[in-house]
Amino acid sequence: MSVQDIFNAINEFRDTEIVNLVQAEVDAGTDISEILDNGLIGAMDEVGKKFGEGLLFVPEMLMAAQTMKAGLEVIRPLLADSDTKPRGTVIIGTVKGDLHDIGKNLVAMMLEGAGFTIIDLGVDVEPQAFFDAAKENSAELVAMSALLTTTMPAMEEAVKLIKDAGLPTKMVIGGAPVTQAYADKISADGYSADAPGAVELARSLIPGD
Amino acid sequence: MKLGLNFLSEDEKQRIHKDSIKILSEVGVKFMSDKALKVLADNGAKVDKDSRVALIPEEMVTQALSTAPNAFVLGARNPEFDFQMPSSYTGYTLDGAATFAIDFETGERRNALTSDMIASLKIFEELPLGTVVWPNVHCDDMDQGNYNEVRPSFVSLINSSKHIQNELHRPEEVPFMIEGLSAILGSEDAVKERKIFSVCYCTIPPLTHDGEMCDTYLELAKFHVPILPYPMPAAGSTGPASLYSDIAVANAESLSALVLFQMAVPGTPIIYGHAAGITNFRLGTFIEGAPETTLINGALGEMAHFYNLPNTQGGCLSDAKVAGPQAIMEKALGTLPLVLSGVDVINGIGEVDASQLLILEQIIVDNEIALMCKRIKDGINVSDAKDYYNDVAQVGAGGHFLMQPSTMKECRSDEFFQPELCDRNTFEQWAELGNPNIYGKAREKVKEILAGPQKNPLPDDVIGKLEEIQRKADEALSH
Repeated sequence: MSVQDIFNAINEFRDTEIVNLVQAEVDAGTDISEILDNGLIGAMDEVGKKFGEGLLFVPEMLMAAQTMKAGLEVIRPLLADSDTKPRGTVIIGTVKGDLHDIGKNLVAMMLEGAGFTIIDLGVDVEPQAFFDAAKENSAELVAMSALLTTTMPAMEEAVKLIKDAGLPTKMVIGGAPVTQAYADKISADGYSADAPGAVELARSLIPGD
Repeated sequence: MKLGLNFLSEDEKQRIHKDSIKILSEVGVKFMSDKALKVLADNGAKVDKDSRVALIPEEMVTQALSTAPNAFVLGARNPEFDFQMPSSYTGYTLDGAATFAIDFETGERRNALTSDMIASLKIFEELPLGTVVWPNVHCDDMDQGNYNEVRPSFVSLINSSKHIQNELHRPEEVPFMIEGLSAILGSEDAVKERKIFSVCYCTIPPLTHDGEMCDTYLELAKFHVPILPYPMPAAGSTGPASLYSDIAVANAESLSALVLFQMAVPGTPIIYGHAAGITNFRLGTFIEGAPETTLINGALGEMAHFYNLPNTQGGCLSDAKVAGPQAIMEKALGTLPLVLSGVDVINGIGEVDASQLLILEQIIVDNEIALMCKRIKDGINVSDAKDYYNDVAQVGAGGHFLMQPSTMKECRSDEFFQPELCDRNTFEQWAELGNPNIYGKAREKVKEILAGPQKNPLPDDVIGKLEEIQRKADEALSH
């Protein structure tokens, strides 16, 4: 038994074995941050890398994330006592007027897998709701999605609300009709064409320690 | 005989129908519109107010199928382009709505503009099988502040005399749309009668109906505007991970729209449509140009025949990022089986990158694919008229048929399709011509059409009226 086994179980989507593997490490007295960083999050970094290279399919990536999450639940009660902390809080949602959420859900799951705390506001989210959630949770990042060209202006409104109020929260956007040029136009902090790119983007905007 | 093709056996159609009924009556469909929920509850659906899910029993489907018209005409501003549904041949929709276009002059991929749409409509007007106009791009130069769907609809009506099909998004857009159609046709009664405008209704898979759009269409149904329900579940993400069950879900979504609009306004013309697809498992995105897409939408076209309803199916589509071999391969393979199975209208001319990129030359290329598919569909005419035994007897063994009167008659007839783009020169001729390729020839054709006059223009006074109605709409509908 080792942290490597945890790492492997996640990369092999063995969601039924992960709880026992993590518990065994905890019982053996392995450092919690070692289990978290090299086992759970390290495994998801590897999964994200393989996904980005086109070696993994979405359902496999999601199964890995689910496996990781089950392992995380085992050590969650112990985290408060250790010196580990989450990578950052992300507010995510599909903008007002838009009910399409599969891409948004994908990004949320991948960010969670990468160690971020996710607050998912769902679909048809008012610009004000992004602002309120960012403020209340002192979120590091707001991620907005739109599939319809007609709903894209709602992104601009939300960016403006948060920037005008001087919140330090970074704003990123995505969705089929969205482009880097549009992100630049509305002064968003970043754009990604796909979910793995969104994780990279989040990491670059919220550097860990 | 004309060529045929079956995607499903009779038993399989029955099975899918039963599956869809089970989905409707036991899983149910979510409606974001209060009006829709009321219509459904009043007509026998069991509605859960909290979840907004309506359980639709089989009797309601049977009832809806009995009031939906089995045939109607999609009218066109120019009556020569009226399209009878069901149709004896397959017509095509100008694909939409792309965010991007290839600039015809510079070749640059940029945001699409109104001028791109107008150019597309001018080209589409010339296509013999081009039947239904979708405003094919989202025009970046239309003011976003007071954007409304009346605008692309009016631009289409002004620049094309074929049938126009668009989406409307807000109930407040309806009076302006009807006023515009009345200005063209002379009266509101003529709007109901001629049906020169229809709407596409995308459900949100799995099994959800939008609120505002639904309210809008309940309003439009009062003017007998034909509605094309257009579910797009992607097998493996927004639909279940087998073609079979993805078909059952898409079929259930279309039936749920059919039921809603028949219960609201019995007799509403329904075009039974689908643009279902599959999931790109590498990225989670929607795939349009896959062999499975053809199987799914071909099967759903057969479900339309099963219900005796006219239909439109997604078909001439591609995921290629540029004009070229992938676009042609995917579009040709995706179109032919649907044509052979007898789909009334195939949606997808002129765009690639999963309908996100307009390329003017592609409109001409797709036209040639459509014409070739039609020739194959028309099949082999084994009749006395084509029985040239006497020629065989006359020429006998050896010799040739080039001088026979029948050859003279047939060489320019429908018996032999003559391509405009595909090259049939000798190598030397082809080299002499500068190695022309399909897209180069299509480009020349586009230039020629764009340089010519606009066909079938609207009278200036009617255009003036439409512009005035548009001004009022922009003012009233500003966000």
